[in-house]
Amino acid sequence: MSKRLRCNFAAAVIGGVLLSLMNASLVDAITPDESNPNHDAIEEKYSLEDARSFLKTYCMDCHVSGSSSEGAKYFELLLNDEGLAKLEPFDRSETADGQSFQSEPLDEKSHQRWIRVLEVIEGHEMPPSDAESPSSTESAKMISWVDHQLQSFSTLGGTPPRRLSREEYQATIEAVFGIKDFKLPSGFPVDRPQHGFNNLGEGLILSPTLLEAYAEGARSVADQIFPPPRELPDPSLNIVQPTDLVISYSSAKVVGDALRLGMKCDPIQRSCTWPSRFEAKVTGEYEVTVLLSTFQPADVSEPMVVKIFARDVASADSVSHRSLRLLEEISVTSESPEEFRFDAVLYEGQTVVLHWANAVLDSDRDDKVRLREFFESKHRENPKYLAAWHTMLEGEQGQGFRGGIGWERVKTLLADPDLPEITEQQVEAVLKKIVGNPVLYAETVVFDVFENGPSLEIHRVEVSGPTRLSEGPREQESERLRQRLIGDASTERDSIDAVLERVFRRPVDKQTLNRWHAIYDQHVSEGFSAEQALHLVVRNALISPRFLYRCLSGNELDSYDLATRLSYFLTMRPPDEKLLRKVTQLDDQLVLRDEAKRLIPTSPGSSWVKSFTEQWLDTQKLADIMPDRTFKYSRLDQKNAKLEVEHFFAEMLRENRPLRDFVDPDFTYTSPRVAKNVYEVQTVFDKKKANDLLRISLPRGGRFGGVLGFSAVMLATSNGVDTQPVTRGVWVLEKLLGQTVPPPPNAVPPLTPDTRGAQSPRELLAMHTSEGACARCHRRIDPFGLVLESFDPVGRWREAWPEVPGQLDSKVEILDGTVIEDVRGLKEWMLDHLSDFGTSLGKHLMVYATGRPMSYLETKEIERLVQHNLEAEEGFRDLLIDLIASPIFAAK
Amino acid sequence: MNKPYHWNRRCVLRASGVTIALPGLESIQTTHAGEASDALEEPKAKRFVCVGTYLGFYQEAFFPKQSGRNYELSELLRELGEFRDEFTVFSGFDHQAPNGHAAWNNFLCGQTPNEYSLDQRIADHLGASYRYPSFQLSAGKASQTMSHTKQGIALPMVQRPSVLYSKLFASDADRHRTEYLLRSGRSAMDSVLEDARQLQRSVSKADQVKLGEYFDSIREVERRMSRNLELGEVTHTTDYKLPDYDPVAPTMQLEAEKLMYDLMALAIETDSTPVLSLFIGGLGQVFTIDGETLQAGYHALSHHGNDPDAIRDLIRVEREHMKCFAHFLGLLKSKTDASGVSLLDSTIVLLGTGMGDASRHANRNLPTLVAGGGFNHGQHVANDSSSNQPRLLGDLYITLMQHFGMSVETFSNATRNLNDLLTS
Repeated sequence: MSKRLRCNFAAAVIGGVLLSLMNASLVDAITPDESNPNHDAIEEKYSLEDARSFLKTYCMDCHVSGSSSEGAKYFELLLNDEGLAKLEPFDRSETADGQSFQSEPLDEKSHQRWIRVLEVIEGHEMPPSDAESPSSTESAKMISWVDHQLQSFSTLGGTPPRRLSREEYQATIEAVFGIKDFKLPSGFPVDRPQHGFNNLGEGLILSPTLLEAYAEGARSVADQIFPPPRELPDPSLNIVQPTDLVISYSSAKVVGDALRLGMKCDPIQRSCTWPSRFEAKVTGEYEVTVLLSTFQPADVSEPMVVKIFARDVASADSVSHRSLRLLEEISVTSESPEEFRFDAVLYEGQTVVLHWANAVLDSDRDDKVRLREFFESKHRENPKYLAAWHTMLEGEQGQGFRGGIGWERVKTLLADPDLPEITEQQVEAVLKKIVGNPVLYAETVVFDVFENGPSLEIHRVEVSGPTRLSEGPREQESERLRQRLIGDASTERDSIDAVLERVFRRPVDKQTLNRWHAIYDQHVSEGFSAEQALHLVVRNALISPRFLYRCLSGNELDSYDLATRLSYFLTMRPPDEKLLRKVTQLDDQLVLRDEAKRLIPTSPGSSWVKSFTEQWLDTQKLADIMPDRTFKYSRLDQKNAKLEVEHFFAEMLRENRPLRDFVDPDFTYTSPRVAKNVYEVQTVFDKKKANDLLRISLPRGGRFGGVLGFSAVMLATSNGVDTQPVTRGVWVLEKLLGQTVPPPPNAVPPLTPDTRGAQSPRELLAMHTSEGACARCHRRIDPFGLVLESFDPVGRWREAWPEVPGQLDSKVEILDGTVIEDVRGLKEWMLDHLSDFGTSLGKHLMVYATGRPMSYLETKEIERLVQHNLEAEEGFRDLLIDLIASPIFAAK
Repeated sequence: MNKPYHWNRRCVLRASGVTIALPGLESIQTTHAGEASDALEEPKAKRFVCVGTYLGFYQEAFFPKQSGRNYELSELLRELGEFRDEFTVFSGFDHQAPNGHAAWNNFLCGQTPNEYSLDQRIADHLGASYRYPSFQLSAGKASQTMSHTKQGIALPMVQRPSVLYSKLFASDADRHRTEYLLRSGRSAMDSVLEDARQLQRSVSKADQVKLGEYFDSIREVERRMSRNLELGEVTHTTDYKLPDYDPVAPTMQLEAEKLMYDLMALAIETDSTPVLSLFIGGLGQVFTIDGETLQAGYHALSHHGNDPDAIRDLIRVEREHMKCFAHFLGLLKSKTDASGVSLLDSTIVLLGTGMGDASRHANRNLPTLVAGGGFNHGQHVANDSSSNQPRLLGDLYITLMQHFGMSVETFSNATRNLNDLLTS
């Protein structure tokens, strides 16, 4: 049976009625809709004539003609005898072919506009306070009538096919093929959000450029699983002279016919060297020869230990040698060049890195003692040593100069007979300064070591090969991927079938399989190998609509579609094995609920928690906002603020906390730094853990915590420098109360930060709410923004506006007449209207899950589930499961 | 002015080591968007090259002391003396953006980092019919992002000269692989489409409409595949040889820089792309210049703290950048396209940076220079950035885009242009 609540005939009839309110003859055509449980007697008593009379009495005076605002147009249309089924803002002069619209049902836009009509009556926005107003009974009847109309019009379901979003695509490739960290092709387009989310069917457009990017991704997947065969190139001998070895920062210096190393710190760019003109062309076996000697060893009995690593030449130079693959360890004892030779496997693009593992100098910060000892010993040898350093360090803005230039200064000073002596106190001060910044000063003193030892000398490096090909990690990974994909298949056909079933996320019928077998057969018959043919099948399967789209069936979701929807909703991935085993039982509510329970993520790291919260609450905007320096809000604080929301949300789910905790919780997750600087909570302050996220308790009813107090929210609704009360107000309405706010009309200048001067934002906003055209929306928006003005752009509490004299006043009166003193009052108000908040949250969840905007009927159903949740004192997870088990989720 | 030209069979570009061999086709017409022959006014510039140095330039050595036409070449500009009348140097221009390394990225983006960048705007205007709409290259580690798509996605840069080389002059093995992928893909496409049509028949009417996007897209992709197969047959060969290693080691950056400039000139000559961007890195590497190893790494030198020795070495490095750049201008000037116009006259070359003063990480007064492109060059444009309404770097960008025939009036925070200075 179709899940649509009414047949097209009814749509046509009712569509005609609404748009022909003046035409009373159609009144009787309204047929009560049996499938609508909310239908009751009121509508039958309240006739179309009554509705018309309501509009005539309270709306027409302003809305018939003359005014050019959008609102006026609605009603002009409503009363247009020629009748348009849609509520489009419309210029009467353009009516050419009005007749053809007669039978068209409400479209989504008109649907939303009618909801707005309902909202303005319900919310006392209209008629304006200085005009004649209907009695509450009259209003209630009219509201109920429109409500009934909307529910009758409203559909359940209607999601278009959903192309995999960028994130889903990436996660799907990883899940289907077991590829770790799949890299999207460069320039892979991002998806445009609609209704606040980037995964709505309508918004997920496919373009040629995107399809090309998919094809490119498909080729890369196929190449990883079935790589093209490799050939052994002719071996070559590479002789690397000391002048052809890399020097960066102060890692080395060429003296005479050798390159000298003098330090052993972690980052290779500060301690190691490698050939500047050699890299392995293929993964294979190579022969490495190094010619090494010691120079002025500190202790001749102790050999210099040299470690030789392999590294990708194109990888970052800042990595630690500890992360590299060790090829050989060599002990050097001779002061004349000695040859060492060994075989090594180098992967494609790798070179050899030389590291002196027991050098005396080490610039890493945790080895200050050794650095101090080094300077002290130098000072014992030459009592002028630290005096020269002292003078050098006095120059150049008290830092001295780095590298060889600094050392040249020290040498000149040491040779100066007039070099002033320094006191013991000054000696201590110099040492303290040096160990205070070991990276900086080791970079200078290492030139002493290059000249005077002890240092390690590299006379030559040779790499020859490859003598044969070997299997590197890439080849091993390909083998693993092949095994995983087709390891169980005994025939080529089985392999293809296994690939397709995985890629298409469902059993594939015979006819379809045959078509794909044909691609394979054709390729093999042209003389290509089985692997090449599978490569071709994978490449093409990944650009098939069967892979790229989900929610692609007739008028109903079948059980595979349903499993796919459930799985992508909660995990952003295709269904796992367990879910696939249950797939045929998903029409059993208990099974569906159990599977939902199993898949609901409980950890803040889950991709769904991240993806949903950052779009629902706009915290994804943080990545683009640079807070002004004066807030002392670091990049790390910003990252933690976003994580806070995700950790909070995860606990709400995991602990099945009541909805009220979204508004007024007794906890949050934050770093000690943010806790102290933003939330005014002192936690145990260990400097090393200042940026680790931890769970802290907050007093209920306080200023901070929850969706109305997150630092991330305050930053996301500011521009990083100033707060934007209108943005915050709109944010509260859309995100927390589920209302729609029309975009500002064109003629109005935006509230720019520059115009502040001596006027307070409050005074500026007052212009909004008093001026006619702006007032209608801003009376609704601005109070919520103003009451949040107590939070600065990063969410710290403030008592005054910057550069505005006097106390900051956050007291507001919202549209329903409630007076709110500050955010605590707002929290109380929202707790009183928790059902609105819950419905908004539920709506956002279901838009995200189903990939379509919620219709009026669906919103009503969500509202019902939320009310049940509140009455039964259930938790957030219960609500989520109820939503998943609802007809909204199951409707295509 | 020069006419749009078409590839002719066995067309040999003048004064170059590049030859193009075509298969049996009589001619392949590659009329590019920017060269549209029937346009009202033919755009003066056809190609765009922009170069950004990570650590900028030492301002005292970059900016001339005098403004106007009779300025004296600064220490760094002396390296470009030969081209004095073919470039304009700008001082006092920037995006009025915040300071710091992170803000470097707004070099081509205007006031907000990571927005639709100048080169990509031009590539979207010119590039559609080219084999490669644009290239992003780097000499040294790409520590920042420079080119951003319309959607704000940072485009990765090619650091290996050999990769660029193989795109321009594919080896037989590479070409066979590409051709194999294209041919096999195209032949399988019939079955894929048939399967997709079967699927389409099984879904609802509304869903069939939505799937129309898929069919439109795949037809276009198929068309592009066929075109690439045809273009793949236009093989360029060159006697230019790369060294047998890629200079990706940090100390080899200056060598990589020179190779990239050579290859960029070849890319322009072969008309493989209309837009190229080159990022010039700068980390801790210690350079050896004229056989002498400097006493400190490039990055440390840039934090010179006004130390004269450090400044001296810093300028030595920067002069090397300038020498490479002069070499590139020389290559473009010495070569002509089919209509006899020098490549420098039809190519706008922008040299700039997102860093005004690396010693202080200040992003004001960005050293900027524009060469070629048929502009009225030869002066030092000094902008008073302290004035009430200073001209912005974006104003210059607007002029550059207009010179490509783009109808734009704004760029980021800029709303004016510098046409009065460059095109009159």
